[in-house]
Amino acid sequence: MLFLAPVMAVLGAVAVFPIAYSLYISFFSIKLTRPNRTPFVGLKNYTDLLGDEAFWGAVWRTVSFSLVSVSAIAVIALLVSLLLNQEFRGRRILSTILLVPWAIPYVANALMWKWIYDSSYGALNGILYQLDFIDKYMVWLGDQDKTLFLIANAFVWKEVPLATILLLVSLKSIPADLYLAARVDGATVWQRFVHVTLPAMKPGFMLVMIYETMMAIRHFDLFFVLTEGGPGSASHVLSWHIYVETFRNLSFGSGAAMSYLLAIATFALSYLFIRTLGRKI
Amino acid sequence: MMLKDKMRQLGRRDFLRYSAAGAGALMAPGLVRPARAETAGLTMHTWSAAVDTVQSHLSAFTAETGIPVNYGNSPWAQYREGMVAKFVGGAPLDAMWVSDSWLPEWAEAGWIAPVDEFDSLMKYNAEAEDFCTQSMTYGGRQYGLTYYTDYMAFLYDEAKLKEAGFDAPPSSWDELVEQSRVMKEKGIAEYPMMLAMAQESWLIEFISTLVYSHGGRLVDDSGSAVMQDSKEGAVEALQWVVDAVDKHKIVSPACVETGELAGLKSFAAGNHAFAMVAKYRLRMLNDPAQSQIAGNVKQAMMPQGANGSHATVGWMRFHGMSTQAAQDKARAENTAKLIEWFGGKSDGAYTFQKLLFLDIGAGFGVKPLFEDPEIRAAYDSYGDVNMIQAQQALARKKDTITPWFGEWNDTNGSAWQSAILGNVDAAGAVKKSADLWNELKDSY
Repeated sequence: MLFLAPVMAVLGAVAVFPIAYSLYISFFSIKLTRPNRTPFVGLKNYTDLLGDEAFWGAVWRTVSFSLVSVSAIAVIALLVSLLLNQEFRGRRILSTILLVPWAIPYVANALMWKWIYDSSYGALNGILYQLDFIDKYMVWLGDQDKTLFLIANAFVWKEVPLATILLLVSLKSIPADLYLAARVDGATVWQRFVHVTLPAMKPGFMLVMIYETMMAIRHFDLFFVLTEGGPGSASHVLSWHIYVETFRNLSFGSGAAMSYLLAIATFALSYLFIRTLGRKI
Repeated sequence: MMLKDKMRQLGRRDFLRYSAAGAGALMAPGLVRPARAETAGLTMHTWSAAVDTVQSHLSAFTAETGIPVNYGNSPWAQYREGMVAKFVGGAPLDAMWVSDSWLPEWAEAGWIAPVDEFDSLMKYNAEAEDFCTQSMTYGGRQYGLTYYTDYMAFLYDEAKLKEAGFDAPPSSWDELVEQSRVMKEKGIAEYPMMLAMAQESWLIEFISTLVYSHGGRLVDDSGSAVMQDSKEGAVEALQWVVDAVDKHKIVSPACVETGELAGLKSFAAGNHAFAMVAKYRLRMLNDPAQSQIAGNVKQAMMPQGANGSHATVGWMRFHGMSTQAAQDKARAENTAKLIEWFGGKSDGAYTFQKLLFLDIGAGFGVKPLFEDPEIRAAYDSYGDVNMIQAQQALARKKDTITPWFGEWNDTNGSAWQSAILGNVDAAGAVKKSADLWNELKDSY
């Protein structure tokens, strides 16, 4: 125990204490700009949030963003991993290229997409215009009906490589004997995919779904760089809501309460995935 | 003995012993001392602007007074949050730069102190722009001296104006619509007017300018919202923007994603005929190395609404004094000297404001500098100094600056954007903003 003490002390200082303290301050009305007024409010920060229209709007947008992006990541990563599981010329080069988005830092990725989506000099407009798909430059991020999907697209681009690798590992672990046995039994390609490949990929899928859902729910960088929650409130998701409340309004009490609700939601979703996808593993 | 041998001799028990000793030393009360105790003199913190100029002016201050100054700076984007953390954490601090936007918040929290008891500082008010003095005043007390000031200017591309057949820039918002429509018809610009309405810190300045020039205000003298009143200009101003985007199509619908900098670049690239930008941008816009329309950019008085005037919004940043400095008489007097050195005169002249202007083009808040030959020559090289001075005389402080401004500002920006996007009518958007304002006012 004596030898563990320094590690325990460091962990206590940098992990346990901040977590416990943030829970503690979520029961107070703490605004840094009102340092002399920090009354204990019990669960009021939480109950106020549950009755706050803006909060539920942010929840809805977070759910929409997560559903769209995680679904897209899962489908694209599955297709790419199936492709990379085949032997063909240039496979290694393709695998290397695939890793590039993963290697780009989040903020750099966000800045790159900001340029791509720009309505006056963006590459997206440039390409579409030159290909005659549009007759004048379009407004992308400024169009509230498109904003969330465009941000989801940038998120998917960044996240697909990791998801692909996780799925590829699952694919590589499937014994060749199973495919051989299925062939002997007369199974078609589709039947082999449905009855051999997919069941064997369940652990990888579970990992991808849990990880990517957690990433999508908590994602902040793209919203910060691309839209700052706008236009209007079109991309005002939960992570942005927490940032504004905590670091712009400097309301640490209600910001902490929101963070705990987000953490609980993330845990709940992870549990749900494990219960459903993990049941038959 | 080689380092490797020494490491080999350092056993686990030694490692633990040294670690514990080190941690204990760090935590022992009395050993952890605030930095101030180790350094005499003052501590000054600013955002990272004109750092070399500040440092050299500080060196001159120390040489003149014998008072050393610890100088630190941090990026503007994180400045407010960083300073709040310093205040709350009790970090040593005597003088700092303050934005007019934060004054009520910082004064209410007791982090900064009034300086109006120092006659050596108050004497400069006689030569300062009124809106600057008003912007540094909260609760009847003055909290500093000007570091820099500027205002929202109306700029136009003279070449495009002539190409469209106009001799003079628009003097009203309606006239601007008419001129813009002609420009559209002639294919001179798809969106002749550049408005940057993205959700960023500049947005309140654009909004305030539109409201003031429509003869209105957002908040009355008692601090209550009047923006929702149709006679107070805010609804009319927002409706003008909505119509400009949706009906006349003279402002790009992308304005809600266009920040000030992006808008500036777009104007500099020759995409627009008119723009509302900070006045200090005029220098860059007429610089051939940075602008494709250099030489053609002129300033005109802010267009006025039907019941409005050429008023615009002005903003300023100032040198403030921390409360901890004010509580110690000797420290407060030294800090006042430092503030005067920067915000007032040093060596008998407004040296720092002049240096800042000549160095980075930052505007000044003291009227006598407009008569300085060097400054007039610098202004005239890219603008019309008389126009610049005339518009500055009509600048007004932001009426929304209160302790709850930060909490209201995001919602207000979203409300204006929602109206521009057509989600809600102008009156509904402004009412939503006003309701939040009054709710926050009551909670404070």
